[in-house]
Amino acid sequence: MKRVEYPPAIKELVAQLKRMPGIGPRSAERIALWMTQSRDARTPEIANAIRAVAEQVRPCPQCGFFTSETLCEICADESRTNEQLCVVEQATDILPLERTGVFRGRYHALGGRISPLDHIGPEQLRIDALMQRVKQEQPHEVILALGADVEGEATANYLAELLREYPVSVTRIAQGLPAGGGLESADELTLSRALSGRIKLA
Amino acid sequence: MLSDIQLRHFRCFDALDCEFAPGMNVFVGPNAQGKTSLLEAVCVLLRLQSPRVSKLAHAIQHGRRGFVLDGHFAQRHMQFYFSRERKKLAVDSVEQKSSLDYLDIGRVVYFANPDIELVRGMPDHRRKFLDFVAAQLDSSYRKTLRAYEKALRSRNLLLKAPRQNWREISAFNAPLIETGNAIAKARTKLVTALQPHAEIAQRAISNSAENLELQYVPGGGENFADALEKSRNEDLRLRQTSAGPHRDDLAFFLNDTASEFASEGQQRSIALSLKLAQAKLLEQRIGTPPLLLLDDIFGELDVTRRNALLQNLPAGAQQLITTTHVDWMARDAGQLFHIAGGKLTKS
Repeated sequence: MKRVEYPPAIKELVAQLKRMPGIGPRSAERIALWMTQSRDARTPEIANAIRAVAEQVRPCPQCGFFTSETLCEICADESRTNEQLCVVEQATDILPLERTGVFRGRYHALGGRISPLDHIGPEQLRIDALMQRVKQEQPHEVILALGADVEGEATANYLAELLREYPVSVTRIAQGLPAGGGLESADELTLSRALSGRIKLA
Repeated sequence: MLSDIQLRHFRCFDALDCEFAPGMNVFVGPNAQGKTSLLEAVCVLLRLQSPRVSKLAHAIQHGRRGFVLDGHFAQRHMQFYFSRERKKLAVDSVEQKSSLDYLDIGRVVYFANPDIELVRGMPDHRRKFLDFVAAQLDSSYRKTLRAYEKALRSRNLLLKAPRQNWREISAFNAPLIETGNAIAKARTKLVTALQPHAEIAQRAISNSAENLELQYVPGGGENFADALEKSRNEDLRLRQTSAGPHRDDLAFFLNDTASEFASEGQQRSIALSLKLAQAKLLEQRIGTPPLLLLDDIFGELDVTRRNALLQNLPAGAQQLITTTHVDWMARDAGQLFHIAGGKLTKS
């Protein structure tokens, strides 16, 4: 006896949804059926949103952040200063930094970090583009806001070495205790970094 | 103490439940019945690592996706699920994102016949021992060790590349030095702390005035950063990192004579003394004695050493002992279990 299955359109939708991160076969089927059955689903709007993202959004050619214009909002903003250039691993790292409202300079997303174990070397990252920008925009300071793990640190060291040839001061964001955290809960490595990165109060 | 454990799909056991008694628990049975696997399961439950294999996937029962270990230690409910794809930890039914709190619950000392390799084997046995103890004393040690290993593997991979790029290679120097120094410092402190306990244990076991001295031999020399700098050309030529804690060793001296020259009996005593020192140190630092797992070691020991060992175990420590026969054991010394064909019976 032939097994009855969903029509091809639903099967295709399930197959596409399943490819998305965090969505397994069960969730994919649930979402697909909801789109087919529920009046609240408003599937044309979902389809339009997906199409718009696919057609319009691309990385900003300058900093790597998301944009649908020539330049992203940050790079196009005339009120921001070129004096400081903040280097991050991923474009998604820019938003949390922006939310602090503290930084008014420019960003540069590398698109990852040097990670030999994942076969990612400097060539795979937007490092040449960063050097070009340092040459052209001539910032006073390059701030390295990379991860505090082995690869993040190695990438920071690599960039610091390259930037030595330019008249720019290179800094790293501080590492240490989380805000509101006590000393007793910190491990030794964190504490020793916090100690070596201390700041003068008086 | 460990009050119970349940194994699912672990090694030869499809399912096994066991309730333990305080004090001595003896598991008797012929070879290849799963005695060692039971002790291994206890060690994995409490420490998330096996004393037998470095890859836990080897402990999954043949044809199964993963194993589950479930037990109560010091009234805390510990659960560990492991498969090749993922692992899950829970304490008192609350899933744990990190292993920090989980590993802070129970400590173990594992005695087994291959312990003699600690003395006559390759240095990696001794480093593994130091790491196993250090991680039980300081919960952040594992994280630092992982970071060091990652920096080392990254650096070595770059050194092995057909076209070596020194700028990229040396970018890993700073993280390697930072984590390497932390590891070396922790191991130095550990060896110093083990020394007095090992000395006392050695005298007791050998029943003599034999003086045991432990010496930490740092693979990164006195100054790791300098050593790394000096070995630059060698590293490029050999295509690997030649200096660092991954080359650490622990040397033993009996009455000022290196342990290579000790008899097999003496080497066995040194290994026992180390494990006893570990037990005493854990008891001293943590405040409660660790769980002692003794895997079939009594057959290899003469009566004097056997008694000396039993007398020098931390008092009041819970012990799980496997053995093929019980004639050495005093009657009513503890709870007796028979183990055969993957089944357990109390007697």
